[in-house]
Amino acid sequence: MTNTEVFLQQLIYGLSNGMIIALVALGYTMVYGIVELINFAHGDVFTLGGFLTLTIVGVLGAAAIIEPGALGESSHWLLLLGLVIAAGVFCGGLNLAINRIVYKPLRSAPKLTQLVAAIGVSFILVNIALFWGGAPMKVFGGGNAAAASKDFPEILEGSNLLGDSSNVVLRLEDIAIFAVTIPLMIGLTLFVKKTRLGRGMRATAQNPIAAKLMGIDTDRVIAATFLIGGFLGGAASVMWSVYNNTISFQMGFRAGMDAFTAAVLGGIGSLPGAMVGGVLIGLIRAMSDQYIETRWTNVVVFGVLILILIFRPSGLLGLKQREKV
Amino acid sequence: MAAATSRFSLFSKGQLVVLGLLASTPLIDVAMPTLRLSAPMRTVVTSAIIALGLNIVVGWTGLLNLGIAAFAALGAYAFGILTCEIYPFQVGFWWGVLLAGAVGAFAGWLLGAPTLRLRGDYLAIVTLGFGEIVQDGLKNLEAITKGTQGINPLPAPSLPGIEFSSETPVRWFYAYLAILAVVVFLCRNLEFSRLGRQWFAVREDELAARCMGIQPDKAKLKAFAIGAALAAVGGALIASQLSSTGEPANYDFQMSILALCIVIVGGIGSITGVMVGAIVMVGLNNVVLPIATQSLQNAGIGSTQNVLTSPDNYKFLLFGLALVLMMRYRPDGIIHSGKAVRK
Amino acid sequence: MMMNSMKTANFRSAISAFAFLTSFALLPLAGCGSDKPTAPAATAADSIKIVSSLPRTGSANAQTTSMVNGIKMAIAETNGKIGDTTISYEDWDDASAQKGNWDPTVEAQNADKAIADEAVMAYVGTYNSGAAKISMPKLNAAGMVMVSPANTAPNLTKAGFGEPNEPAVYRPSGKINYFRVVPTDDVQGAVAADYAKELGATKVFVLDDREVYGKGVSGVFQKHAKEIGLEIVGTDGIDTKASNYKSLITKIKQTGADLVYFGGTTQTNAGQIAKDMVAGGLKAKLIVPDGCYEKAFIEAAGAEALEDRCFITFGGVAAKSLTGKGRDFYLAYLKTYTSEPEGYAVYGYEAAKVVISAMQRIHAAGGTITRASVLAEVGKTKDYTGALGTWSFDANGDTTNRTMSVNTVRNGEFVMVKVVN
Repeated sequence: MTNTEVFLQQLIYGLSNGMIIALVALGYTMVYGIVELINFAHGDVFTLGGFLTLTIVGVLGAAAIIEPGALGESSHWLLLLGLVIAAGVFCGGLNLAINRIVYKPLRSAPKLTQLVAAIGVSFILVNIALFWGGAPMKVFGGGNAAAASKDFPEILEGSNLLGDSSNVVLRLEDIAIFAVTIPLMIGLTLFVKKTRLGRGMRATAQNPIAAKLMGIDTDRVIAATFLIGGFLGGAASVMWSVYNNTISFQMGFRAGMDAFTAAVLGGIGSLPGAMVGGVLIGLIRAMSDQYIETRWTNVVVFGVLILILIFRPSGLLGLKQREKV
Repeated sequence: MAAATSRFSLFSKGQLVVLGLLASTPLIDVAMPTLRLSAPMRTVVTSAIIALGLNIVVGWTGLLNLGIAAFAALGAYAFGILTCEIYPFQVGFWWGVLLAGAVGAFAGWLLGAPTLRLRGDYLAIVTLGFGEIVQDGLKNLEAITKGTQGINPLPAPSLPGIEFSSETPVRWFYAYLAILAVVVFLCRNLEFSRLGRQWFAVREDELAARCMGIQPDKAKLKAFAIGAALAAVGGALIASQLSSTGEPANYDFQMSILALCIVIVGGIGSITGVMVGAIVMVGLNNVVLPIATQSLQNAGIGSTQNVLTSPDNYKFLLFGLALVLMMRYRPDGIIHSGKAVRK
Repeated sequence: MMMNSMKTANFRSAISAFAFLTSFALLPLAGCGSDKPTAPAATAADSIKIVSSLPRTGSANAQTTSMVNGIKMAIAETNGKIGDTTISYEDWDDASAQKGNWDPTVEAQNADKAIADEAVMAYVGTYNSGAAKISMPKLNAAGMVMVSPANTAPNLTKAGFGEPNEPAVYRPSGKINYFRVVPTDDVQGAVAADYAKELGATKVFVLDDREVYGKGVSGVFQKHAKEIGLEIVGTDGIDTKASNYKSLITKIKQTGADLVYFGGTTQTNAGQIAKDMVAGGLKAKLIVPDGCYEKAFIEAAGAEALEDRCFITFGGVAAKSLTGKGRDFYLAYLKTYTSEPEGYAVYGYEAAKVVISAMQRIHAAGGTITRASVLAEVGKTKDYTGALGTWSFDANGDTTNRTMSVNTVRNGEFVMVKVVN
């Protein structure tokens, strides 16, 4: 491989990984923007999305995945779309339920109390994922090793789009990530900018009390935020599973940490910030793996983060907040 | 005037009760030997010391720190390098612990100096990142830290004429408890000192504090350094207890999270509360859950055939559920300091 | 405003309470009897306890469950009795919920607990070599026998592999109390390097998971590979929690490596590496050590990614291919647990069996079962015929069994391709 090829390849991987992180980061940043809660459980909601996806794939069976033509030429894409919607709705609903049961009663409690409750929820979800991994289905290995990582079958054809002779590998799944994440991001931006509910969200983020006084049903706005954040997390879990071909009950930990980092790097509360932050982290990881050493990648990622925050204390795209008097 | 009076008392009543309670746990072991409480008791003490360090930063100064384990790791490794026979220093237990604290303070200062002007959650992610950096750094700098192998053996506490070893866990526990008592004493004095009042002022309203002539950055930096020093002492004590620094991965994000849970569950800002939190959380993790699954096992309930029937597989669930329920019903923690504001 | 009298009262009560506290503290210092829980039972114990300390919470659960099953079978075979004395077994977890992995404080606690419980005669464990480092010196000082069914790091028992103070540091009493029934990594790493050459590899990239076991075995591999003339084109340590290794694979691809060695386990993401080698278009072969010899590895990597391109070294042979008593074990396991045993199940069985046989020998000779007698008798294990063939413990406490096998995956099952003695 020539140096240019290597660079191009790392660019592809960095962007693909980064887009997934960005999608998870949006869920963090939206919730934070509205209720100032670092939702530690978000990564684990994402994990359960992955498990649901694998379950659906297992129920549909090999035929739906491997044999094209059941729904015409584009059956793989339809399946992917179906999975994104299913996991999205599931994770959105789950997030909504968690908000209703756990966070809502604590809304007036100190912020750190909510944080610890979120940590508790995270542990509970990890355990649910562990049990789910023991489901008696072939895709889960028949339930013999619940804790083991699960192989996720290839949904999109795995050959190199640039031809077998090319050193640079670009696969359908790389394209799929962009095909799914970019419309979602555009949709979200439009939603927040143009709709009534979106306006309610921005108002609540700005000042929840004033928003309430202006007649905005903030509880409904918060619920919607959890729902949408969860939906994006669910969509991300599908793309993550399709891209990495593995799911495990602890996968939400790193995904969550990366996404949280991305959200802060971009400026927490800022939607474009989360996107930029996610992509940036993906790229830094890829480049550090290649040009430094994998063993130092985490150090590089967090070192860059700290440096950026020293010079831009509100993140890359965060608004400089005036200190409240 | 409360501040002036308290200068004369070593401990508050609550602190005395908790310290006394801890001191009497070996008696429980005599009464109910099957519980074997003396084994995890040292972990309660070390966790309490780390959490007291965190409490200074989170509870009193209002800065969210998600990387306290990094300072415990630095303390443990400093202690290891300064005392282990394979390094040339071999300063012994007490100097090792003290110097580990100094290393922690320096690291806290180093991290804090450029980053403390960051707002709450930005600082949180910086500390989280620092935790990852320290962990990976310790892993990768094998020439100095022995990488994942861990540094061993490490000295136990030593006093003239008294022997400490793994065969005298109770005696060892009392040595640690004495160190905890000193830490509590220091914290209590800090709480009512000029510096302590500066921290509270900064936590409540930074701008107002500045108007009163307090330099928030300096106060925060001191909180960071002192908190880090205590965490490092806790780390050094863990290393001494294990006679090994263990792997760097032992001082991971989960450890920081446990320390945070101890502070919040126990009662943020309250020294007594933090100690209670340590008893509750470490008790849950190291005593209640193992004993619960063990007794189910001994009673012949559950089997290893299936993930759902093995009691061990419910530990995450119970741990998480306990956290959620405690927050739901005691949102201000078990011991409410009455001082922490709702932010 | 506080009154002066109250001030002094506070002070006085504090002092008296502190005195109360210190008196407590001094009580045991004065040498209270209860502080020395290690005194071994001098007379015949009315109950004998064997405990195991393995990570039962989290990702190693499948493998350790299989090992625990093996231990239970070993005990059941004697009807749970030595003479008239009942053997009880407790399956302890050295992982904690909060960590989801082995936790050093819990491992230390388990060792302390075992020492304090006079009925405990033997400690079967640990799974992770790092955990062994914590409990070994404690149990050694207490004179309790420890048999590991899974630790393979050579520096635990042999000089010249780690620090100059190893392994003496794990033997504060100067005696050997730690035994293991698995061949160590100095054998395994070398077998892997030899096999790499046999596969025709010339350029090798060495990865490890930056943990005690993985780092150790990849170090041996690297050293031996150099000696037999393989070129090491690069080394790196992976981030075990990463979502994928596509970027790292690209880097390896650039070096032109035709073989990748990964020192690590299924839990440290070996499956993902195998998978990403395929996805990243790296055509090199992959060799991994015995930490990946479990069904979970095939499940995680997906059989296609491993078929005839991934080779797994393992101390001993596959359970299916065991002969003699090993075959009996295999069939009995299938019958009792209605599932295939994992690779280490037989080691769990053998570790417990070695302890029980020693106890039986003591009983047969009319001796008393104490920690000291069990320790001495286990150490005398010589030409023992068990599920792993006929073997002895050598002077370091290691098994003389040096049988290693090289396996690959075909049709989703492990297939043995070579046995090395």
